[in-house]
Amino acid sequence: MPTSPYGALLDAVRGVRWPAARRVMGATLGAHPSQLRGNSSEFSEFRTYRQGDDPRRVDWRLLARSDRAYVRLTTDRATFTTSMIVDASGSMAFPLPGLDKWKLARELAVGLASVAHAEADPVGLAIAGAGHSVLMPRARRSVLVEMMRALDATTPAGTTPLAPFVTSVRATRLVVITDLLGDFGEMLSAARLRAASRTEVIVVHIVATEELEPPDAALLAVDSEVPTLRRILDNDRRAEYRGAFARWLDDAATTVRAAGVRYVRAHTTEAAPHLVRRIAGETARRDA
Amino acid sequence: MTFLVPWAFAIAGMAAAGTVLLHLVSRQRPAAYVFPTTRFIPDRRALVSRASARPRDLLLLVVRVLLLLSAGAAFARPVMAPHRGAIARVVLLDRSRAVANAPNAVAAARAALSDGAPSILIAFDSIPTIVATTALDSLVGAPRSNAVGSLSAALVAGRRASATLAQRADSVQLVLVSPVAVSEIDSATRLLRAEWLGAMRIERVAVRADTAAGWRLERSIAADDLLGPATAPLRSASGDILTRLVRHAPTVQDSTFARSGGTVVRWDSAAVVHASAEGLAVGDDVIVAALARRLVSPTGRVVARWADGSVAASESSLGTGCVRDVGIVVPVAGDIALHPPFQHIARALLAPCGVFATERAADSSTVAWLVGKSHNAARAGALRGEDSRPSPLARWLLALAIAFALAELFVRATTAQVAE
Repeated sequence: MPTSPYGALLDAVRGVRWPAARRVMGATLGAHPSQLRGNSSEFSEFRTYRQGDDPRRVDWRLLARSDRAYVRLTTDRATFTTSMIVDASGSMAFPLPGLDKWKLARELAVGLASVAHAEADPVGLAIAGAGHSVLMPRARRSVLVEMMRALDATTPAGTTPLAPFVTSVRATRLVVITDLLGDFGEMLSAARLRAASRTEVIVVHIVATEELEPPDAALLAVDSEVPTLRRILDNDRRAEYRGAFARWLDDAATTVRAAGVRYVRAHTTEAAPHLVRRIAGETARRDA
Repeated sequence: MTFLVPWAFAIAGMAAAGTVLLHLVSRQRPAAYVFPTTRFIPDRRALVSRASARPRDLLLLVVRVLLLLSAGAAFARPVMAPHRGAIARVVLLDRSRAVANAPNAVAAARAALSDGAPSILIAFDSIPTIVATTALDSLVGAPRSNAVGSLSAALVAGRRASATLAQRADSVQLVLVSPVAVSEIDSATRLLRAEWLGAMRIERVAVRADTAAGWRLERSIAADDLLGPATAPLRSASGDILTRLVRHAPTVQDSTFARSGGTVVRWDSAAVVHASAEGLAVGDDVIVAALARRLVSPTGRVVARWADGSVAASESSLGTGCVRDVGIVVPVAGDIALHPPFQHIARALLAPCGVFATERAADSSTVAWLVGKSHNAARAGALRGEDSRPSPLARWLLALAIAFALAELFVRATTAQVAE
């Protein structure tokens, strides 16, 4: 019986909580504090009765003791629809043959989905690749398995833009797992619009170690998505490359954050469970 | 197997060597590496070439060398034929009266035959005769021919003989041992020379300049005679052949002299007052001078003509000798008798019948067209009557070259994919 490659990951992220960054608007009962106050059992405070309040919410015992009418307020909790957009373009198929970037992207998508699903949130998936597929957000038990199958069946190739997915995917929390080497500008514009419409957008920037530190031997570098783009990478150019790539990483982070989008850089050397915890914010909460 | 165009194969060989050298120069081409962040690498070109002891792309090199060699061999026109000698030789030995020194001519012919190549010796005067090369020594002692040589006849015989030699050699060289006198060249000579497709090697021997030493005048003429300056060399000549110059109509004694084998030349000494410019041709000599005409009998062999074609001198046989009638009247006034061209013509007209007076060597331009523009001997295939179509082997080699060219494309594409 084959062992699921995600088994260890799911075990490692079990119990991780991923609260919403702000109160959610949903009416479906979930785990995230809702902007609505209603009839849940989690007491919050009393408020004097005002005309128009539901008489059923009046605390009669308090009325008897104080001869004043108070209504009982509770904190509602709602679900938070979460969708993963995974970049499956050719640049994610790196480095060969391990495809570490794609492997990390898959694990992050599954790990984050499992964390969200554990809180009864509907989770969905959109794979932006040559044979792109979209799984609508669902809260049912089998949704994680469907996501795993879809990700395992995908081989990153081609140049599929992310912006249309960012614009169209239905979610109140959107996680874009990408290396930002495709339509970065368009994707960021779409993400800015989603963020303005109160969608929590998180960009997880996958960076391979080999991209930061290329092999020492002289290479004829061939671009993954534009094969005609070929350049010699030797010792003379390696330092210039490192400088240019580092500047671009910093610029990308700054630009993304300036758009009101959360930016998380993920190196392929970092373990996926740790990354999941970092993205879920548990590390920050623990430090706090 | 021999090649009709060996330089084509040599060029292909040099091209193949150049290809090997190019394959020894290896460009430092690093291995391809799929790299998503290629765009951040500075765009500067830097390829380093260096010589290597081991050729790169060995299979591609082999295919390319085979392609060049097979194409070169195809264009070199290979011929599958029995082995032949490289060259054969046809030696035309002039035995005519124009040759001054026959032993020298024979020696030149012997030198031409000395390399042992297959050869045919043709001795010619007016008639060509094939002579065994072993009989050269006998030609030294053979009597001199007084016949006028004919290069045309010799060329025809040489062309026929070369067809036999072409079966035993790849090329046939034509060697002419002759003084190349003007009298030996006629209007057919140029056409016959053009039929020979290669160069002609000419071993030129001395021309027989003057035959005055072989004959003499029977009696001297008066010192104040107009023909005196022209006959001056003849008066001191010694020879057995006699010529009698009469300045009037021949007498009975003159006829008797002619019948007994002598030559009587009637050259009247009529005084002429009015002379006009006339053109006169005797053999190959032509002069234009103030002369007068006297009618001569049109019968007999014409030995001189005026410019308009009328007969200026003729001779007819009489007994064992002959009588020559010269209708050229030399004016008393003038110095024409002192001019060497006239004296040359006068000696020719006083010469005994059947004995020429002089031979004149052909000029350098004539010799040049006899040699021809080509520097090579005639191709034996052409002499054998073979056409110039390439042999079937050449077609197969060409097809092989095309196959190698296609293979080269395939191997190159495969190599490029592997390099990717």
